[in-house]
Amino acid sequence: MGVREAQKLATRRRVLDAASDLFNEIGFEDATVRAIANRAGVSVGSVFTTFTSKADILNQVMQDRLEALYEEAGRFIPLMRGSTADRCRSLFAVLYAFETRRVKLFLAHIAVAYRWDMEPTARPFGANQVFRDLMAQWLKEGVERGDLRADIDIPAVVDLLLGLYAWNYRLAPSENADAERLTQVMDQQIGMVFEGLRPQG
Amino acid sequence: MNHLPLRSLTGIANVRRPTQRALAKQRTREKILASAKSLFTEKGYEGATIRDIASAAGMSTGAVFASFTDKSDLFNEIIGADRESLFEVMRAEAVGANAEEALKAMFDAGYRFTLADLPLLQATMSVSWSPDLGAQVRGRLNRRPITELIAEVLTSSIERGELSRNTDVTLISQMLWDCYLANFRHAAFEGWGLSELRAQLGKQIQVILAGARAG
Repeated sequence: MGVREAQKLATRRRVLDAASDLFNEIGFEDATVRAIANRAGVSVGSVFTTFTSKADILNQVMQDRLEALYEEAGRFIPLMRGSTADRCRSLFAVLYAFETRRVKLFLAHIAVAYRWDMEPTARPFGANQVFRDLMAQWLKEGVERGDLRADIDIPAVVDLLLGLYAWNYRLAPSENADAERLTQVMDQQIGMVFEGLRPQG
Repeated sequence: MNHLPLRSLTGIANVRRPTQRALAKQRTREKILASAKSLFTEKGYEGATIRDIASAAGMSTGAVFASFTDKSDLFNEIIGADRESLFEVMRAEAVGANAEEALKAMFDAGYRFTLADLPLLQATMSVSWSPDLGAQVRGRLNRRPITELIAEVLTSSIERGELSRNTDVTLISQMLWDCYLANFRHAAFEGWGLSELRAQLGKQIQVILAGARAG
């Protein structure tokens, strides 16, 4: 790797780390590219050789985090056992634990994603597809084992669970909910959903 | 309008007719709100400025500040008014042969109403999720809790014996409302329209209510 390329990579890393911290501290709007550059110890100019905009920086910060999330979740997923409901509870507990470590960053990401007046950013809850497939698999196995009704619309149930998971994050800004609280709420909701999925008779 | 026969005023003897000044102030306010709504829809919350709003209303920024504290004050008014209208629309439609039908009708009306102005919804979502800006908007949105309407539908259903007496009405109302709202992410990020939202929520209502059925 040439010196120039190595430098570019190093700059990228520093900017992403600085941005991740700043977005988490003061939110997206208030964090300026200049402040990010200062924190990273690089010039504004060099930021713009690697990133096209502040939204682009946020995008890549979240992309990085997604990789870290897959790695973390990947370690725990093979260990998840028990009823389908309990496996789902464990999965969401891991997700909440991960994201609430930088909750302000996560919320900022959601807020920015809804802004159509900016260039499109990475979709929040972008991890959905992997976990969606995983839960669909678990539900299928649950039906095969006879723990769940045979007539479940699996994609609809998965989307319901993911929707509830996503929407519970509103408790973070409104009630200062932490991972434990979010998980507690989700556990209850999962209980209610799976009550309705039990086999008849 | 200006020449009401005296006869028609009997029985409302203590009505204080608004002064010309108050009426003018009210009209100005409405004009600013209309202009603001249109600009928030066009440029989003951050993109719209007081200057733009004033200009579109044909006024000075000073005139805007005479009626509203700041941009967030304006936005909160608009969101609050929008929420009131949504509440009325949903209340009117919350009718059906059973809980499932009533809820589907109610939420359908909600989706129709909200999708008519998707950019405004996105601006609302964006602001309400913002850690700093969000608190006031969230407060406004919670003033007319639609979960009360949902709870009424569920309670009637319990009384008719369709749902179990043990139904946790509060939990289920909140879940149904969250589910309804969460589907908007599909509208925003995947371009889902009314029929897709309706189909998805219909299935989700069935799943949620299945746990609450009697027997």
